[in-house]
Amino acid sequence: MQGSLLAPLFRLLPVGLTALAIQRVVFARHPVFDVKLQFVLALVVATGAVGGADRGAIAGFVLGLLYDASGNTPMGLMALAYGIGGMTAGYVQSITPDPQWWLAAIFSALGAMIGELGVPVAEAVRGESGWLDRGLLTVVPLVGAAAAVMCPLLMPVGRWMMGVKRKKWKAIPE
Amino acid sequence: MVLVVLTAMILITLDQSGNSGLGRVRSLFARVLQPFETAVETVVLPAERVWKGIAEVDDLERENDALRDQLARMKGAELEAESAILAFRELLRLDQLTSQFLYGVVSAKVVGDSPSNFQNTVEINVGSNRGIGVGMAVIDGAGLIGRITKVFPESSIVLLITDPQYSVSAQVLSTPEQIEDDSAPTSSTTPSGVPVNDLTSSTTSSTTTTSTTIAPGATTSSTTSTSTLAPADPSNVTTSTTVQRVIRETGTLEGQGADAPLVLRFVDTSSAVTSVRVGAIVDTAGGTKSLAPQGIPIGRITKVVRQPGTSSSLVEVVPSADLSRLNFVAVVLYLPSGSGR
Repeated sequence: MQGSLLAPLFRLLPVGLTALAIQRVVFARHPVFDVKLQFVLALVVATGAVGGADRGAIAGFVLGLLYDASGNTPMGLMALAYGIGGMTAGYVQSITPDPQWWLAAIFSALGAMIGELGVPVAEAVRGESGWLDRGLLTVVPLVGAAAAVMCPLLMPVGRWMMGVKRKKWKAIPE
Repeated sequence: MVLVVLTAMILITLDQSGNSGLGRVRSLFARVLQPFETAVETVVLPAERVWKGIAEVDDLERENDALRDQLARMKGAELEAESAILAFRELLRLDQLTSQFLYGVVSAKVVGDSPSNFQNTVEINVGSNRGIGVGMAVIDGAGLIGRITKVFPESSIVLLITDPQYSVSAQVLSTPEQIEDDSAPTSSTTPSGVPVNDLTSSTTSSTTTTSTTIAPGATTSSTTSTSTLAPADPSNVTTSTTVQRVIRETGTLEGQGADAPLVLRFVDTSSAVTSVRVGAIVDTAGGTKSLAPQGIPIGRITKVVRQPGTSSSLVEVVPSADLSRLNFVAVVLYLPSGSGR
């Protein structure tokens, strides 16, 4: 399992860098209702939704680390929050090995909300004040909703990025 | 997942402790990320512009219209401000001139020109309701511009002084010195051997000029007295008392059309030869029959043409008022005593 998880890291980097560039160029410049939608986080949770909790955690950690490296957050903080978010989205695989798109979207939204909420929580745990405020009531649902919308589009990318094989079998209809 | 959490915790701790290695990683990563951002911008920006062109064209048109409207209003406001400044200056000049008169004035604004090509008139926005009467002189800040020829309750017609139908009693004011200056050579000499400063500071003189009437129609009108005290030496007190004669030549000023100068015809045809010079001031002469009171400036003499075979001269006068750009004027509430008012 460890070997199969480390191999896709070479794909993670270019894809993550591209995702980060899209986040900085597109989504950071065009907020929706004053909320910057999180493209990288959407990719993370979509990866978790198709690859499971472990792959989601790794994708979240690596992409979060890239986010940290490009931003002003302490190195590892976004990695931690996104890792938790990716892992949460990946739990959909524990319900069904071949989730429907809407189920994956729901878990992606859930994972994105947790991942987005994890950032201010981690900052608060670090001792930084002013992160937990009413603005989160707008930010967290919007980021979650955007992740749910983007999830079906990003799931193939996440699947390729993490080297997840499409399942050959189909459930036998009753 | 535990590994992820532990690694993250270690990294956060290292970063908080100011690890320099992480700083280098960040700077390196910024360089790595830059080409990706550039590539994404290259791809995204044209699409973004197209999208903006589609989605925001209505907003841009509205904004453009609003800005054009705002620009037009600002241009109008600027013109309005400039116009107000010019009007204020004009009114100020008018007020300075009319404050010297003994007669009341009614300020007015020129609201129209003559519709005819052959009449030099303007219409003003005051009439009989404000006490305006036919024959009253009309002035602006520079001097006489004409007289009232028609009066309505709320407006009046002013015949300009350039109109051939217009005539007014006028006078030319000059001093004998000015006349002599005109006839004498213009060059001046200084006596040799005496510095100019010494000459002026050491000379004591007392000069008295008695005024006399020198010609029919010319009278002495005012005197000027000057005294100079040299502070260096009380014994060298220079006292100069000069009673200057001002020679007044009266005549009739007539218009010759919009683009032609006024013509002054003297009562005494020989006076122009003796005392009238180019540059002399011409103003209204007043009198019991004149419709304009005495002392309103009219203009300056620009040309004195000797007429061969006679003793008279043709004197041309250019009005001081710019009759082509009249805006604010004032009607002098004066009528000669013989006119019934």
